[in-house]
Amino acid sequence: MQFNTVLRASLLACGLCASTMAIGQEKTGNKEGFSLAPGTVRIMLMRPVIQVGEQSTGGMYEPNADWTTQARENIAASLHDAQSKLGNQITSYAETASGEEPVITQYSHLFGTVADSVIEYQFFPGNRLPTKKRDKGFDWAVGPGIASLKSLEGADYALFITTRDEFGSTGRKVLQIFAAMGGVSVTSGVHTGHAGLIDLKTGELVWLNADRQMGGDVRTPEGAQKRVKQLLEGFPGKPVETAALAGK
Amino acid sequence: MRYAFMIAVIVGASSSACLANALISPGPHAAIAQSRLSATPDGQWNRLSRRDGKNVELWTLDGDSLNKVTFFGGIPVGKPLLREIDKKNRPLPKVMSNMLITDIPALLESTYRSQFSVNQIQIETQEPALLDGNKGIRFTYAFTRADDEVLRKGEGIGAMVGGQLYLVTYEAPSLYFFEKDLEKFHKLITTLKL
Repeated sequence: MQFNTVLRASLLACGLCASTMAIGQEKTGNKEGFSLAPGTVRIMLMRPVIQVGEQSTGGMYEPNADWTTQARENIAASLHDAQSKLGNQITSYAETASGEEPVITQYSHLFGTVADSVIEYQFFPGNRLPTKKRDKGFDWAVGPGIASLKSLEGADYALFITTRDEFGSTGRKVLQIFAAMGGVSVTSGVHTGHAGLIDLKTGELVWLNADRQMGGDVRTPEGAQKRVKQLLEGFPGKPVETAALAGK
Repeated sequence: MRYAFMIAVIVGASSSACLANALISPGPHAAIAQSRLSATPDGQWNRLSRRDGKNVELWTLDGDSLNKVTFFGGIPVGKPLLREIDKKNRPLPKVMSNMLITDIPALLESTYRSQFSVNQIQIETQEPALLDGNKGIRFTYAFTRADDEVLRKGEGIGAMVGGQLYLVTYEAPSLYFFEKDLEKFHKLITTLKL
């Protein structure tokens, strides 16, 4: 009887913790004082990093090449539609003869890692790092080295986008159901997305929109549109939002 | 059930407290990684609440994916460096009683290949070194994890003392982060005591 009480209490505690974490999570951050007016800057849209696969019963990620190709095409089309509505001049990154392709790819991966660290250590207030708590600012960067890249010359900011989708396998879904029957929370599926602006003079992250439970099935055109819309929600300098804010 | 709820709140509150990352202030810090390892940082660090093993402690400045100091404090013979996440399919190599100091980088390498799905890892340099007067090895390495594909560089110092492995490593993305905090790590390892 006592054991049952403790067991139920522990499960309830886990549930409380999980829900507290979920409620407490922020999704957007920007550097203090940063704002963009429409039509004032040039933004380079970097090639998105897109990963799509399956989550095994044990929770491991297994990449799926076909899904990833579909998602790349769908997200590229949705971004193409969206970029003219962002308020500033957006140019898609194109390979040049600079030979900087490998380092550009590394910056894209580094952005994803920085963005994930922001989710982990800034957007979850209970998990903040004590040395970063004090100023309560938004102090994240990929470093000033990005300013010296020739292939980004002429742009003021770089817009990086990364998405990672792990669709729960049948086994994972079955596990989730059985775990729920036992009162244990098991997640099925991971849908992480980051969109962020890097200041190309300093390498600082000035705006980020990121979430680990994004909507939209990126394998379909409609889902990719939903995902892109969510990624670019609150994009700085977007005319509609600027007008809406001015009206407040 | 009322009691169950009360216990839940207490357990929840205490686990929240346990979850908090701690400030490492400048000055001496003993019993690192629940071992006899101590260090005296001259600046602030954050100690993560997460533990990757019984005798493993993580310090960071910006998050463990961006800069990470890992203290392996006296891993005994027969134990792996990190807690095994999939013992059956991806068992980790264990500390051996007959290990030479040159086996330490190789142990880290094979551990990473299993635990982090690291496809590319190279031990770049290795040289004899002293860890608080004990014969050891200092080495550098580079690796890329399959999950984020970020090229990271690392540096470590380790020794077998009293049949246990003591190892301290620093890792960060090669772009920007590694150089940014390398000097802090170099200063930190000069203060290590056993």
